[in-house]
Amino acid sequence: MFKRKYLSIFLTVLLGLSLLSACSDKGSNEGKDSGADSGKKKVEISVWLTPQWKGVLDPTEEGADYDSFFKYAADRFEKEYTEYDVKVNVEVIAGDQRDELLNVNLNGGTPPDVFYESVFAMGDYVHRGALVPLDDIIDDAARADIEANYWDNVTFGDSVYFYPFSHMPGTLVYNADMFRDAGLEQYIGGENEIKTWTLEEYETILAKLKSDLPKNKYTNAYPMALFALNNQGDTWNLAYLRMFGNKFFDDEGNIILNDENGVKAAQWLKNIYDKGYTNPGAESVSSNDANAMFQNQQLAISFTNSVLFNNLKADMANGNVKQFDARLANIPSASGDPLTFTYVTGAAVFNTGDETRIKVAKDFVKFVCSDPELVKSSKNGIPVRASVVEQYKDSNPLFEAYDQNAKYMFNFTGNVPGYSELRQVLYPELQALYIGEKKPEEAIKSYQEKGNSIIQNAKADSVIYKK
Amino acid sequence: MKSKKYKYSESLTGYLFIAPQMILFLVFLVYPIIEGIRLSLYKITYNSETFIGLQNYIRLFKDEVFVKSAINTVIFVIFIVLLTVVFALFVSASIYDKNAKYVAFIRGSYYIPVMVSMVVMSMVWSFLLNPANGLIPYLGREMGFSTINLLGNPKTVLPVIIFITFATNVGQAIILYLAAMIGVPKDLMEAAEVDGASRKQVIFKILIPMVRPTTIYIMIVNIIAVLKIFVVIQLLTGGGPNNASNTLMFYLYNNAFKYNQLGIASAVGVIMFLITLLLSVPQLRAMLKKD
Repeated sequence: MFKRKYLSIFLTVLLGLSLLSACSDKGSNEGKDSGADSGKKKVEISVWLTPQWKGVLDPTEEGADYDSFFKYAADRFEKEYTEYDVKVNVEVIAGDQRDELLNVNLNGGTPPDVFYESVFAMGDYVHRGALVPLDDIIDDAARADIEANYWDNVTFGDSVYFYPFSHMPGTLVYNADMFRDAGLEQYIGGENEIKTWTLEEYETILAKLKSDLPKNKYTNAYPMALFALNNQGDTWNLAYLRMFGNKFFDDEGNIILNDENGVKAAQWLKNIYDKGYTNPGAESVSSNDANAMFQNQQLAISFTNSVLFNNLKADMANGNVKQFDARLANIPSASGDPLTFTYVTGAAVFNTGDETRIKVAKDFVKFVCSDPELVKSSKNGIPVRASVVEQYKDSNPLFEAYDQNAKYMFNFTGNVPGYSELRQVLYPELQALYIGEKKPEEAIKSYQEKGNSIIQNAKADSVIYKK
Repeated sequence: MKSKKYKYSESLTGYLFIAPQMILFLVFLVYPIIEGIRLSLYKITYNSETFIGLQNYIRLFKDEVFVKSAINTVIFVIFIVLLTVVFALFVSASIYDKNAKYVAFIRGSYYIPVMVSMVVMSMVWSFLLNPANGLIPYLGREMGFSTINLLGNPKTVLPVIIFITFATNVGQAIILYLAAMIGVPKDLMEAAEVDGASRKQVIFKILIPMVRPTTIYIMIVNIIAVLKIFVVIQLLTGGGPNNASNTLMFYLYNNAFKYNQLGIASAVGVIMFLITLLLSVPQLRAMLKKD
């Protein structure tokens, strides 16, 4: 009787202890810093990236995937790194799940060691103190090879937080076949040109596409993509709001959209929507929907960036998308100068609290972003290194066109803190504008108020502003 | 003395038997609730936690998006729960005494959507309703109507979401009602029929009162489920247009995982917990009292 009772007590206590130990996070780092047979200390780091380009050097490689490049780089790093016995785990995560995954892992104390992504999407993590500065791994050779404006993009306060690798300029893309069918031959640019239209020309194009596009050939087709379902692709919406010359941010990083030019831009968007120059239901259409519609030739003009455009061409070449004549154009503005922006992509290192892992992560980032063989892969976007542009400019004639555009480039984030949250207040205002719930001036005023409130709160918590 | 010791050891054995369940309950339910309440009183950044009292709650009630989300959630709860209960009662009362194969067929038909993931259902509805290339707006245009955008209109977005959620969930309630109605003693019905009661009287005077505990259970379960409505919002409307379909859970999710405002998100969680408690406790008490 007693034996049975003690046995039941013992088993119950054991179960309780095992439950409690299961809740403990100890052991999750096991093996990451343990000694190894080789005599060198074993260090394991994790590298996360969002989908960028497929393949190591080219998307046409056999088995090319989004992690091919980083797996290849990791393999080389593991073999060539001498200080520690390193294992690099590469993981691709969905772009629209980035913040969710990072926030959960940061709060759980398990951030990745390295993250490769567009800088604009990661700026908040700098302000929150989650990333470490990379000044110590950037040498003079890198500074000389990469233009100053790219360094500005990755510099917060006085420090560099991302090692720039490539960039993806954002433009419009148009279906030249649809232009021809609508009698718009004179507005078609060269195959390797980024065509610049004046705003008047652009409005003529939209009107003509609306009236003259043959309905029997292009069923359910519209002139231009317009979307405001969520924050995806919002950079184009931000560019449209600068069409009439508004600067968007002042020198202190506050939004100054609420002036005559900002309201005029919002009014322009509402006008083209009401005239039927865009796809219907912009308030419920996402950038993904718009992209799919452009590929299905249901939109004559849509948004793109250099990687999306390359992917479209590759999909056409391998038969995934029906062939048509896709070409690039700039976002027009009232001044006649094109509006252009770019997503600088690069690698950042998270503050994991483990000095050894931080050091190895930094060395890995330096290796990936400066090794002469690896940096060639930046040609899948637009290389930030002049040396790589020089190597590939003959086989990639668009590099020169993007280069000519660079002088019109604006920094769409202003590197302000709270940018992730700021993105969340733009699309509801655009939705209110399109469904007629708010007038252009009301939507712009409301966006500025809400946006500046977010920036002020984020500034109060920013480790950069507190310095 | 001996019997007291015996009694003590007996109860100790009892406590030990319920200990595993209690540990799970304390660790995975009670602790998160207490931690949630604590976090709602703090401002949390990556590097620090600062006690700010009720500031998170004050900020919430000043935020028009939160107020809109709370109102929308209440609307969802009222309409979805009412529709579910009334429709499930209607279907079950109509078929409970019919041929067993017929009952099984109806039960299966309504239960299929319950088995399909809400994510899949939302995506199917998204394909149907997308204003640019969805089937319903396309058919509308072909028939000469202007652009149909049910999800982009603040007046129609709530009814559409209510219908989709109701259509997906009602099968569960029908199953429960049918089981309860089949279990109602036949002699009650027969006695009523002998006394000349009509079918309507049998349903309203006998059947519905007899399945009252099931009604209360369905209401509580659905209130809790609808308070947490999220997937359909995330995939169909993203809370839009202009936050017209935002809900408390979606608001909480955005704050916790997108903006990393853990304090604010915890405060929303605490408020949702209190609302659930307020709505559920009176019904639970009524159920327990009668039984």
